[in-house]
Amino acid sequence: MHVEKQKLGLYIHIPFCLKKCNYCDFLSFSGCDFKEQTRYIKAVEEELKAYNLKESDYQVDTIFIGGGTPSLLSEDLTEMLLKCVYHYLFIDENAEISIECNPKTLTDNKLNLYHRLGINRLSIGCQSLDDSILKFMGRVHNRNDFFETFQKARSYGFNNINVDLIFGVPGQTSQKFHQDVEEILALQPEHLSFYSLQIEEGTPFYEKYKRGEFNQVPDEEDRRMYHETIEQLDKNGYIHYEISNAAKRGYKCRHNLKYWSMADYLGVGLGAHSYIQGVRFNNTKNMQDYLSGNYVEASHKNTRKDSLADYLFTGLRKIEGIDLSEFEKKFGQPIESLYGEMIHTFQEKGLLELSKTHLRFTKNGLDLSNTVLRELI
Amino acid sequence: MDAYQQYIRNFSIIAHIDHGKSTLADRLLEQTGVVSHREMKEQYLDNMELERERGITIKLQTTRLVYKAKDGHEYIFNLIDTPGHVDFTYEVSRSLAACEGAVLVVDATQGVEAQTLANVYLALDENLEILPVINKIDLPSASPDEVKEEIEDVIGIEAQDAPLISAKEGLNIEDVLEAIVKKIPAPNGDPDGKFKALIFDSYYDNYKGVVIYARVFDGKVKKGDVIRLMNTKKKYEVTEVGVYAPGPVAAKELSAGTVGYICASIKQVADARVGDTITMDQDPTEEALPGYKKVQPMVYCGIYPAEGEKYENVRDALEKLQVNDAAFLFEPETSTALGFGFRCGFLGLLHMEIIVERLEREFNLGIITTSPSVIYKVIMTNGNVEMIQNPSNLPNSIEIDHIEEPIVKADIMIPKDYVGAIMEICQERRGKMIHMEYITETRVVLHYEMPLNEVIYDFFDALKSKTRGYGSLDYEFIRYEKSNVVKMDILLNKDLVDAFSMIVHESKAYSRGRFVCEKLKEIIPMHQFEVPIQASVGQKVIARETVRALRKDVLAKCYGGDISRKRKLLEKQKEGKKRMRQFGTVEVPQEAFTAVLKYDDNK
Repeated sequence: MHVEKQKLGLYIHIPFCLKKCNYCDFLSFSGCDFKEQTRYIKAVEEELKAYNLKESDYQVDTIFIGGGTPSLLSEDLTEMLLKCVYHYLFIDENAEISIECNPKTLTDNKLNLYHRLGINRLSIGCQSLDDSILKFMGRVHNRNDFFETFQKARSYGFNNINVDLIFGVPGQTSQKFHQDVEEILALQPEHLSFYSLQIEEGTPFYEKYKRGEFNQVPDEEDRRMYHETIEQLDKNGYIHYEISNAAKRGYKCRHNLKYWSMADYLGVGLGAHSYIQGVRFNNTKNMQDYLSGNYVEASHKNTRKDSLADYLFTGLRKIEGIDLSEFEKKFGQPIESLYGEMIHTFQEKGLLELSKTHLRFTKNGLDLSNTVLRELI
Repeated sequence: MDAYQQYIRNFSIIAHIDHGKSTLADRLLEQTGVVSHREMKEQYLDNMELERERGITIKLQTTRLVYKAKDGHEYIFNLIDTPGHVDFTYEVSRSLAACEGAVLVVDATQGVEAQTLANVYLALDENLEILPVINKIDLPSASPDEVKEEIEDVIGIEAQDAPLISAKEGLNIEDVLEAIVKKIPAPNGDPDGKFKALIFDSYYDNYKGVVIYARVFDGKVKKGDVIRLMNTKKKYEVTEVGVYAPGPVAAKELSAGTVGYICASIKQVADARVGDTITMDQDPTEEALPGYKKVQPMVYCGIYPAEGEKYENVRDALEKLQVNDAAFLFEPETSTALGFGFRCGFLGLLHMEIIVERLEREFNLGIITTSPSVIYKVIMTNGNVEMIQNPSNLPNSIEIDHIEEPIVKADIMIPKDYVGAIMEICQERRGKMIHMEYITETRVVLHYEMPLNEVIYDFFDALKSKTRGYGSLDYEFIRYEKSNVVKMDILLNKDLVDAFSMIVHESKAYSRGRFVCEKLKEIIPMHQFEVPIQASVGQKVIARETVRALRKDVLAKCYGGDISRKRKLLEKQKEGKKRMRQFGTVEVPQEAFTAVLKYDDNK
């Protein structure tokens, strides 16, 4: 009997960096040697083995190797990791397999290997093309490193490349960022992520900011950068499909879309998050615990209320918004019968718009999305 | 004098706040074996949680101690503890009226302070023997000799033999007990005369009704007697008499010279007012004891249920507090901004703060309080006089001939280095200096006449802040005086928020208006639109600030499927929003109401 397999996204966390960037509050460590990295990859292998989903009903159709800096891993470790992914999971032949790369770490050998291992999407952390801003942010590369890396990746046949940019960095002007985006678009990447800088507690930026060493870019300027970028992308034929993401037709990141559509995904590695069949769970952030096999730290079975909140919270991040019929199918009730009054209020305030088929943010709503999400969750 | 009377001593302990009055009372209890060291809570007589925490006595308590003196006799001490704050002057004076003497506690490191003096004068008014005691001599900075001199110079009583003690360490407490026996006179009064007793305190007990603390001056009282309260003219049958030792112990009778409690099924504390005279309904005394006055609130403010709090809960709590506090008044009122609430009257600012804190802590209520106001006498063009304590009720200005405001006599005691700074803050608050008195080489009393409205606003905080806590203040109402006061309104996005309205002197309207607008600008979060904040007098806008429009409120990244973290962040923000009040189109955090009243050193 043939059973249709269920789709599953896989996230693998590689918590190593050459050096932590000044704005970064992700779970990653700098200065880990090859031995430590090897122990970690072996632990990930153990975790995958523990799940052993090879013979299950799950079929992995997206893989995202994120970090930290996954491209920091040696060829041996990368190969070891991917091989065991293939060993313990059933990977769809058309799976989207992404890896995050730092321009400074991507060698010819690695690109060659990635290709061989079936990795078909690169996400390159460029962040800025202004060397002084790169330095300010504590990046280890400069603009030339990025251009070289990008060209090299193309030459090894990678035809699905994302470029990450950060805007609203102190000292940056909207003209400057506009120029960066122009230069990037000239390279014709398939995908572009553009994040407004957030100064997170516990980062060097936060400390500096608190000490008054720099001022944040005024909100007006930040929003100008954001909306100008959206216009540039639109002119160049990109589809703005999530608050901070745009892609050429057919190149939306299938993995990330799972997060925004409440599809199932499994996260492995330190501090990774999973959502499978209505249960959210997350791994420990403590390396020792993780290495000794205590992977999962907490899990939570979503109530209907949680699921509603998650669905709105993630779904509205998509520019097309929430598909009304899909919502009704999932929750058995039209969205308006649950949130009609609130939706109406935000429509009046010009933050939400409701068409026959979708509920979504207006342009102004994208700038003030938290105002809306706070009330809906 | 009857034989039993010569072994009785009725006395109070008086002191400035923090000089160790309650600690000394504790030691006296301990040394006479009334309370063992083991069961001794700190400051036994301060039985409200709040009192113990703030280190001040709000409601007084009385206790009977038995002391075996060095002369071989047993003496009965009736210790009448008194509240130590300026708001409770009348209660203090009635307690003192029940005594023959007062133990004056002076801190060996601080010396004489404003309330030391104020209390001494009250005691002298009652012709009490004053027994100075110098406390905290264990502290390294103690200078008992200087303090002795100060007492003699400033108060004019002999202090060379004053016991030098440390109430905290229990040092030389015996000296105090002996001095009480030797220096404080025994009571007199005729045990067979017509019954006459003074109410100096009362509290409500769930089982017994109101329990009256009384000092019997003449005659005696026992269970079954029908008593009459001479000022309220009400009659009650006595159900129990007794003494506090320190718990209640029923007694057969209370006779002339003694202090004890009387229960007579009285329903409300307000029916047995402090200062009233008790006599027998049959065969009453001709003349009531002097000094009775009905205590009137001087300061009013609105108390409203905060978001999510029930009106009924606030009302029930206020009722419970009132049963026990004759000086506290409340009545329902409505505010367009805050909805249904209560107008509450207090003796003074401290009294107000205590009630508010008790509502929040003992009753666990969420409340909003509006700007405190004094009572203005509004003389109308038609000759009518209206007493207004709520800014919203101020009549239309065309109907008003003039307004009078209450003026107090304020005695401010400070180290001399601060004279300039304090004169400045008094000046700013429309104070008129009457005179300045050097009570010692380093200590000064400034005698001012000031509008009460300025005193209740932030004067005490300013005084404390400018003198690093060394300044002290005592004030009492003297008269009403014609004044140019105006009503100042606050508008948020053009809508008047009545809860922020206040009555201010014309000369202060501009600076106060600017201060309130600046504070609100700091506190009101950004909205989707610009929020103008305006202060206005009549139709004229006198100050304006603007809260800029919110341009960006977005989570740029939601990485690696970690949805819960971002969601928690939003949920936390949502919690914060629950503490907001919606006024028209504008959301205002509840702390805005207190923030606009706080003294700000930088302004």
